Amino acid sequence: MRKFLAILVGKLLIFISRVLKVGGGSALPGLVAEKIDPNILKKLTQKFSSGSIIITGTNGKTTTAAILASILKAAGKNVVHNYTGSNLTRGLNSTLIEKASFFGKIKADIGLFEVDEATIPEAALKIQPRAIIILNLFRDQLDRYGELEKTKDLIGRGIFLSPGSQVILNADDPLVASLKEDAKREVLFFGVENETYTQKEQHFHSADSLDCPRCGQEFLYTAKFFGHTGKYQCLKCGYTRPTPQVKVQQLKLWGMEGSDMAIEVQGTTLELKNTIAGFYNVYNILAATAVAFSLEIPLEVIKRGVESFSSAFGRLEKIKIGSKNLYLLLIKNPSGFSEVVETLVADSKPKSLLIALNDNFADGTDVSWIWDTNLELLKNHYRFITVSGIRAYDMVLRLKYADLAGNIDIEENLETAVQKSLEKVEDGEYLYLLPTYTAMLDIRNWLTKKGIVLPFWKIK
Amino acid sequence: MKITIYHLYPTLMNLYGDRGNILTLLKRSEWRGIEVIVKEIGLNDPIDLKEADILFMGGGQDKEQERVAIDLVAKGPFIKEAVEDDLVGLTICGAFQLFGKYFLTGEGKELKGIEIFDAYTEAGNRRLIGNVIVDCRELTKNWGWEIFRATLVGFENHSGKTFINPQSGKTEEEQTLPLGYVTKGFGNNGQDRTEGAVYKNLFGTYLHGSLLPKNPWLADHLILTALQRRYGTDFEFPQLDDNLEYKAHETAIKRAYTAKTSYL
Repeated sequence: MRKFLAILVGKLLIFISRVLKVGGGSALPGLVAEKIDPNILKKLTQKFSSGSIIITGTNGKTTTAAILASILKAAGKNVVHNYTGSNLTRGLNSTLIEKASFFGKIKADIGLFEVDEATIPEAALKIQPRAIIILNLFRDQLDRYGELEKTKDLIGRGIFLSPGSQVILNADDPLVASLKEDAKREVLFFGVENETYTQKEQHFHSADSLDCPRCGQEFLYTAKFFGHTGKYQCLKCGYTRPTPQVKVQQLKLWGMEGSDMAIEVQGTTLELKNTIAGFYNVYNILAATAVAFSLEIPLEVIKRGVESFSSAFGRLEKIKIGSKNLYLLLIKNPSGFSEVVETLVADSKPKSLLIALNDNFADGTDVSWIWDTNLELLKNHYRFITVSGIRAYDMVLRLKYADLAGNIDIEENLETAVQKSLEKVEDGEYLYLLPTYTAMLDIRNWLTKKGIVLPFWKIK
Repeated sequence: MKITIYHLYPTLMNLYGDRGNILTLLKRSEWRGIEVIVKEIGLNDPIDLKEADILFMGGGQDKEQERVAIDLVAKGPFIKEAVEDDLVGLTICGAFQLFGKYFLTGEGKELKGIEIFDAYTEAGNRRLIGNVIVDCRELTKNWGWEIFRATLVGFENHSGKTFINPQSGKTEEEQTLPLGYVTKGFGNNGQDRTEGAVYKNLFGTYLHGSLLPKNPWLADHLILTALQRRYGTDFEFPQLDDNLEYKAHETAIKRAYTAKTSYL
């Protein structure tokens, strides 16, 4: 009875919020539903024939989940997926309620959920996923999480609470790899073997965990990818990067155009050519491949799924506006922002940029993090930068102290900022938009109202 | 003219944008034609502060802070001597705590600090998080140069509660005084409305933000005081155009009243 009521009220709220255009109904309906029936998440995910997959980590959840969704569809699976990135339990519940019949039946083979790190214990316990994958742990939203160690412990708790789940870990992230101890079972590791794109010596300090999680000694890195990821070993206690079973052996990055890579898994090589830009997305593709492999999806199907994928909600999303193009690249934390910037400056063409910095709850209310980002790289690589958002002036200050001068404008109103910036872009050219989360939602909502973008609930 | 900034434990105590403070000191000096050298001091590195003009240490995670505490205490007497000699310094969050007398953990363990600030910290059971506005008029009233508004804006995130011990019988110069009083936010302990601490030219605070970019008057005070200590008073110290800095400062004030913060 509770379940029925929860679903009924949830569906009603979804309908209302969309008709009244007050939001997409991706959070509130789930929140109310779980107040009515606290076990709704468990009840709605119990009956999938192939179980559920949970994806978590600081950066890349939405993109990895979207790539995996593409692979699962290529494999002919019917997927329930919280693709907008609403990843607290209320978000999972909203997604499930929308797809469920009034009696709680969902016509899907498999659940695919990106889950916020702090929500892992509850989600893992209630869903008992078939597989749980942890992508990375970077400093992000300290005002919500406190510290990196605590976040890792929370994820460890979740792993402990779902003893039947296959655990899939990023070998290149020492903090993530150390979750093997919490797993107390065989773990599947993925990682990058190819060292073409390692960092030079004096790179910017956005690293957080450089020390051995076992004994506290500083790691020796033989290769560093970004942040604290790379090939590491502890000279004191011997803790070393585990050998990944799913690994990138060949890699070629083509700036904003995408990449070519060869992933080796169990002696076989999978060659992938894709249009998703940036080194950080290599990890997302690799992670999705690792999960697909653990689900025993054939390699040709994985290849089809990856190569037909173009972008996730608000991440590297290309939107055509009249004769011009918008490229949405979400920014959330120092490592993510730095990686986006590195990708943008990889080729020699100066970019037209709009950076929108908000400090709402979902963006992180402490904007200190922008001072840990390597924006100095933008020097001589931009045509103009428009700065917008609630904390536009904080961002402008950051640019000023990064010694970026000239062609920088401030327009706090987001819509005006987008319009003014598009006017300065040539036909056929791109405006690269770097928003924090709520700014990204505002822009998409605005574009949806203008009919330029489909409301996200109509895309799938 | 040259200014040398000593940055303590840059890789371990770099929790949240505190690097922005080094960048601000660096640029605001360079823009005035002053050469800047930044020297990094890590664990087990020797410390000789003869060449130092400004000492800076940021905040870190609990684990890092414990490791650093032991090393810092070994360096303590040298730092104390330099601070007594009017060395200019800025310590944020965990560093601020370690420059006090001690930190009492939740389990009752006492971590010794380097005992420069007459202050101690005890672990609290909730996080003091949010936007902060600090009223520093008391501190700056005798500084002798025009400050339009002596407020600091920033963001705090700490569970430690720091208590300063101002003592009667000592002159103001010999005492550890608060940096200011919070108009918005919790401040040092959520009880007495004090924020931060000042002893001679050493400043301590819980404010991230980063602190100095949005509070250029404090950045300039640190640079100016450091220069005067080394070169006397016979030099030009031009005002910079801080229009953008103050717009950001105003936004931060507004957000201190309008933003909702939540914590785990």
